[in-house]
Amino acid sequence: MSPWDSLVKALYIARKDIRVYYLKAPNFTYGLLMPVALYLAFGSTGQLSPETLISGLVSLVILFGTTSIEAVSVVTEKTTGTLERLLAAPVSLTSLLMGKALAGFALGPVTAVIALIPITLLSGASIANPLLVFAAITVSSFTFAALGILVSVYAKWIPEAQMYSNFLRFPMAFLGGAFLPYSSMPPILQTVSRALPLTYTIEAMKEAMSSPFVTQTYLIDMVVLVVFSVVFMTAASRTLAKRLG
Amino acid sequence: MLVLEEVISAEGLVKRYGDLTALDGVSFSVPRGCVFGLLGPNGAGKSTTIRILTGLTRPTSGRAVVLGHDVEAETTEAKARIGVVPEASNVYEEMTALDNLVFAGELYGVPRVERRSRAMELLELFNLSDRARDVVVGFSRGMKRRLTIACALVHRPELLFLDEPTTGLDIQSARILREQVRELNRGGVTVLLTTHYLEEADQLCDSIAMITRGRVVALDSPERLKARVTGSRIVEVSFSGGVEEADLGGLPGVTEVHRLGDKLRLTVGDESDIVGKLADYARGRDVTIATINTLKPSLEDAFLKITGLNPEEAKRDKEPQRQRRNDG
Repeated sequence: MSPWDSLVKALYIARKDIRVYYLKAPNFTYGLLMPVALYLAFGSTGQLSPETLISGLVSLVILFGTTSIEAVSVVTEKTTGTLERLLAAPVSLTSLLMGKALAGFALGPVTAVIALIPITLLSGASIANPLLVFAAITVSSFTFAALGILVSVYAKWIPEAQMYSNFLRFPMAFLGGAFLPYSSMPPILQTVSRALPLTYTIEAMKEAMSSPFVTQTYLIDMVVLVVFSVVFMTAASRTLAKRLG
Repeated sequence: MLVLEEVISAEGLVKRYGDLTALDGVSFSVPRGCVFGLLGPNGAGKSTTIRILTGLTRPTSGRAVVLGHDVEAETTEAKARIGVVPEASNVYEEMTALDNLVFAGELYGVPRVERRSRAMELLELFNLSDRARDVVVGFSRGMKRRLTIACALVHRPELLFLDEPTTGLDIQSARILREQVRELNRGGVTVLLTTHYLEEADQLCDSIAMITRGRVVALDSPERLKARVTGSRIVEVSFSGGVEEADLGGLPGVTEVHRLGDKLRLTVGDESDIVGKLADYARGRDVTIATINTLKPSLEDAFLKITGLNPEEAKRDKEPQRQRRNDG
């Protein structure tokens, strides 16, 4: 199968996922309400700068939204037997997982923009380069979708997948710089923070909000997010292949 | 001499899951144009065999060639030419019947201009055209099963794998489905089906491989398999009152007794005057014979004789196995 055919089939799977899984309840509870509630509980103290507030909330919305839809789509396919239908078709495992990731990838910018517009208007913050902010949102959406797939491959039920995701999402939310700026963390937490993809999303968004140009930090953050994506997708593909025997 | 083209060749397939050996050297071949049955009790290895042949899992050892493609080396090429209907219907319930078929067409590379017309053609063939634009969630089990099969045919496969096609269906739906399988076969599609319904295998299959504990124990046409049960007769009898299987087992000439609902099925030697003996037995117990029938050996008789299983083992419920699969 040519790379073009693989991509086309991945897009068909993504479109089907969007139609079938986007309106499922867990996507709203975990994907939109949870990060907003978290932010209201921990972030809206009035001590955070508008840049930290916006980048933190938008990043959390992407993280929770994309990982939630992957939990729903991957686990539902497993429990209803439709995953077997995809696996029986002449579609490579890579294409299949790419299709799943693209569905999550498409959701991220939608939810991020829904969160971004009101909070930007309310806070009165200015965004130096909206295009770079959008680029950070899209790349991060793919990274977190890939993370969601990796986690969901291990789960048998949707709540189990959400639980595994929460083991990663909550530490990331608190150590990734969403509520506490990276620079004010103790050195040990800064080291841990550097191992978390959310840190790079928040950092890239802050860079794009404060500078109209591509900075070195922004570029490194984007490269690191791409590397995380490749690692998560490869691990998910290998794990699923192993589980299929 | 006419040489039949093989569409499936399984050579020494072994599949192990840890300490469990699911397949233990399964070998058989399937010629083009036939309906081939894999018959066996639950856990015998039928579904594992299908999963290997369709590229869903890899054998621990052995080789499977499907339509000339080594399934391990050329998985995608083989998958493009086969249709797979798993044991549980797996259509997207949130989508309409038409959209399910169009999506299947997309996955199998059916040209865009043909997808809708092919989908409508299949909906017509499977008597679902009036529900084409309804979401599947409201469909009956039989309708979902028919739609699952239609999805597997969207790309006009040469070979169709049907895993337990009628399990869980009502009698009428099962009958319609069997007729559709025959029709597909008449149209040139080679069919490999697994079933634990012996009557279904008898009605549909040109050739049957009996499989137990991961091994093929017999491979022949249904009639030849039945002919193996010679030298004995089967008598089904029911009484007006309760009788013990052990009592009937003690009658001269009776070699086996199995209870089937309110009837008892006796295997007896050819020379035995079993009717007279049963009448004497009934008089002695103060009961009467309600019904008595002498049966020709069935595929079930052949199956039980060849596999050495008892009827309960052969007909064990599928549900626990399906649950395990969902869990795993």
